Amino acid sequence: MADTKPAAGSVTLERVNTPPAQTWNYLRTNDITLTVPFASRKGDVYFALPRLFEGMECGMGQQVTDWVESQSADAHYVEVRAGQKRTEPIVVTSMDTGVMVRAGAEATVVIATNNEGVLAAGRSVLSPASSAASKAKRGLSESADKTEGSAASTQHSTSAALVRIIAERDARVHVLEFVCANDERQHIESVGITADARARVDVRQFFLGAATTAAGLCCSLDGADARFELTCRYLGRDDERLDINHVVRMRGRNGRTDIRESGVLDGRARKALRATIDLVHGSSGSEGAELENVLVLSDDVVNKTMPVILCDEDDVAGNHGATIGSVGPEQIGYLADRGLTQEEAEALYVRALFDEAVIAAPTPEVRATVLARATSVLGAEVARDLVEGLGLDSPAGEEA
Amino acid sequence: MSERTQKRSQVADVDRSLYDFTYSEEGYERYDDGLTPEIVRAISAKKDEPEWMLNMRLAALDTYHAKEMAPNWGPSIAGLDMDHISTYVSPRTNQAKNWDDVPDDIKNTFERLGIPEAERESLAGVGAQYDSEIVYHNMREDVAKSGVVYTTIEDALHDPEWEPVVRQYFGKLIPPADHKFAALHYAVWSGGSFVYVPAGVTVDYPLQSYFRLNAEGAGQFEHTLIIVEEGADLHFIEGCSAPKYYEANLHAGAVELFVKDGARLRYSTIENWSKNMYNLNTKRARVGADAKMEWVSGSFGSHVSYLYPTTILQGDRGQCEFTGITFAGATQDLDTGCKVILNGADTTASVDTKSISKDGGCNTFRSSVVVGRKAANARATVSCQSLMLDDISRSDTIPAMDVRNATANVGHEATIGRISDDTILYLMSRGCSEAEARTMVVGGFANPVSKELPLEYAVEMNNLIKLEMEGAIG
Repeated sequence: MADTKPAAGSVTLERVNTPPAQTWNYLRTNDITLTVPFASRKGDVYFALPRLFEGMECGMGQQVTDWVESQSADAHYVEVRAGQKRTEPIVVTSMDTGVMVRAGAEATVVIATNNEGVLAAGRSVLSPASSAASKAKRGLSESADKTEGSAASTQHSTSAALVRIIAERDARVHVLEFVCANDERQHIESVGITADARARVDVRQFFLGAATTAAGLCCSLDGADARFELTCRYLGRDDERLDINHVVRMRGRNGRTDIRESGVLDGRARKALRATIDLVHGSSGSEGAELENVLVLSDDVVNKTMPVILCDEDDVAGNHGATIGSVGPEQIGYLADRGLTQEEAEALYVRALFDEAVIAAPTPEVRATVLARATSVLGAEVARDLVEGLGLDSPAGEEA
Repeated sequence: MSERTQKRSQVADVDRSLYDFTYSEEGYERYDDGLTPEIVRAISAKKDEPEWMLNMRLAALDTYHAKEMAPNWGPSIAGLDMDHISTYVSPRTNQAKNWDDVPDDIKNTFERLGIPEAERESLAGVGAQYDSEIVYHNMREDVAKSGVVYTTIEDALHDPEWEPVVRQYFGKLIPPADHKFAALHYAVWSGGSFVYVPAGVTVDYPLQSYFRLNAEGAGQFEHTLIIVEEGADLHFIEGCSAPKYYEANLHAGAVELFVKDGARLRYSTIENWSKNMYNLNTKRARVGADAKMEWVSGSFGSHVSYLYPTTILQGDRGQCEFTGITFAGATQDLDTGCKVILNGADTTASVDTKSISKDGGCNTFRSSVVVGRKAANARATVSCQSLMLDDISRSDTIPAMDVRNATANVGHEATIGRISDDTILYLMSRGCSEAEARTMVVGGFANPVSKELPLEYAVEMNNLIKLEMEGAIG
C-alpha cells in the first residue's frame, strides 16, 4: 500500500490519484500523498463485493482501493434489475460500495459527505490515530507539508468512499457527489465506472468544502455507442486543498465523452485538477471533449490544471480547453454599472455553485448538507435567500 | 497494405536522401566509448581550458552518475547505452574561415546541405560543426564591426576579454544539476557557439550554426550561449542532421539564451537527426523587461526526442512566442513541447504547435505554463493541434498549467483528429483530385510554422515533410 513504513495507526498513501500520463514531476501536479488512519483487521472476515468488481479501475488508483477495502466493514452491494427504473436514489452508506445496474435499467447513485463523514455511513469515518501514533505521524505530516504534493491529515478526521458501478448495455446511471464538509475533515472519494454498449452515464460532482478533498473518478466506456457526461463544480477557500483526477477510457466504437469543470478558488486554496480522455485503439468514431473554467479570486491561490488527451486511433476527435483567470475589468465595469461591487460580483459566482448544488440534491438530507455548507460560506441570510429564490420548501436556516 | 489503409490520407515520410550520406572516419581522433573522469580530463586538456571549466566538467560527471531518470517519464531510452557512445570524435583539421580551407569530405557534406550557398545569399555568419568540433566559422565584416561577436565557446574561453563573460553566463541558466542529461552535457560538451550582440545593435541577417554528426555510435554535445544586450535584435538559426546508422547516436546539447531588457531574439531550429538518434536537448531563455523571445521549431528526425525549450519571462512586459511543428514517422517517438514561466508583470506568452503522426510514429506534446505570484496581468495562450494520418500512430497532449496570480489569464486549447472526409469531399467537389485535396489540407496545417521561417528554410522544411500525396483513390 505504501512504500514507507507507516507509523502505528496510520499509513501513507504515496503518489495516489495519478493520471495515466504524467507531466514533469517538479511541477508537483501529478499526484497527491495522503496520510490516513490505518487499523489492522488481521483475522477479521467481512463481506466483500462480488469478484466482478475486482480489478475495476477507480479514479484514485489501486493503492486507495486496497486501503479502503482493508479498512471497510462489510462492503455494500446493490443491484438494479434489468429494465427496472429505480426512482429512489441509491445513497452510498458504506466505505466500499458496488452497484450493478443491469441491462436497460436506470438508477441514481448519491455520495454525500458532510462534517460527520459520508451521510448515513457509520463506518465511513475513520478514527484518528492514537496519540502516540499521532506524534509519530506529526513528524511525517510536517515533512509532507513542505511539498505541495502532500496533504497532512493527522489533524483532520478522515472519511472515505469507494464506489464501483457497472452499467450494463442500455443502462442509464446518474451519479451525484457532494462534499460539503468543514476544515477539520479530509475526504477521500474514489469512483470507478464501466459502461457497456449504449449505456449512458452522467456524473455531477459538487466539491464545496473540506480541509482536503481528494477525489478520483475513472469511467471506462467499454461498449459501442456508450456515453459519459461529467459536470464538476468546486469551491476552494481558506486553506482548503482539492485534488481531483478524472480519467475516461474510451474503448468502444462511437463513444461520446463530455467533461465540464468549473470552480472558484479564494484565500490560500490549492487545487490540482487532472482530466484525461484516453482514446484507446479500437475506439474509432469516438469523440471526447473536456473544458475547465477557473475563477481565481486571490493571489495566494495555487491553481493547477492538467487536461490530457491520449490518442491511439485516427478516426476520432478529441479536444480540450481551459481558461484560468479572474473577473475581467470589462465584466467588473458592466456589473458596476448595475450597482454591484467586485466583491458582490465574485460572491455571485460562489452562490451560483450552491444554487446548482441545491437544485441537484436528490434528498432532503443531501439538500440540508449543501445548505449547511452554504450557510457556513455565504451566511445564513444568503442561504435562506437561496432556498426562497429557488422556491424550495425548507428555509435554509431550518434545514441547515 | 489493406484496403482500409489505402483509403487513408497518404503522406510520404520525410525524404532523408539529402541527409543520408556518410564519409569515412579514418584518421579522425576518437575517444574511447563510455564516460570516465579520464575522458573528461582529456576533452578539457584538448581544449586547453581554464581550471574552473575542468572542475565544472568533473562535478557534472559526478552529478550525471548520481542522478536517476524519473521512472514515469516519456519515451523509453533503454536503447541508449553510454558504454557504447564515444563522447568525442574530431576530424584532424583546424577551424577555417574559408570554405576552401575545409577538408574536401567535410566541405562536400556542407555543400550538399546547402550551407555555403545560404551563407552567400542570406546569412550574416555561419558556424559549421562536424562531429565534436567546429570546422568552419565566419561572419560578415560589417556585422563584426558593429561589435557583434560570433565565435566558438572554446575561442571565447581563450580570449581574455570574453573568458569572464563566458564564466559569468555559462551554465547559469541550465545548471548541470538540472537533469541527468544536462549533467552529461556539461561533463563532455564540445563545440557550439558564443554570440554577443551589443546594446542597441540590430543584426539585419540571421546567424546560423549547423551541426552535423557523421560518426557512428557517437554523441554531439555542443553548447550555444547567446547574449543579446539591451535593445539589440538577433535572429539565430540552428540546423542539424546526421546519416542513419543502426547503432544509437546521442545528441545532448544545451542552449542558453539571455535576452536583456528591450531586446529581441528569434531562435529558429530545423532538427532532422537520423532515426537512430536520441535527441535529449535542453534549451532555455531568460527574457528581460520589454524584451521578446521567439522560438520557431521544426522537429522531424530522431528516434527519441526529449525537447522542451523553456522561456523565463523575468522582466515586466516580456513576451514569448513559440511556434513549433513535429513530424513523427515510423520508429519515431518524439516527446516535444515547451515551457513558459511568467514571473514579470504584464508578460505575455503565446504557444502554437502542430504535430503530425504517421506510420506508427508517436507524438507527445507537453507544455507547462507557470504564472508566478508577481506576474500581475500576465496573459498566456496555448494551442496544440495534432493530425493523425493512420490508425497505427499515436498522439498525446499533456499540458500543465500552474497559476498563482488572481489577475492572470491563461487559456489552453488542443484538438486531435484526422483529415475530415467532409473536407476532402468539399475540395473534390470544387475540382481538386483527392491527392491534391489532401496535399492542400496537410500543407495548410503546416503553413503557420513554415511561414515563420526564412524562405530558404521554409523550402527546406517543405522538402523535409515532402508532402507527396499518393492518389489513394478508394
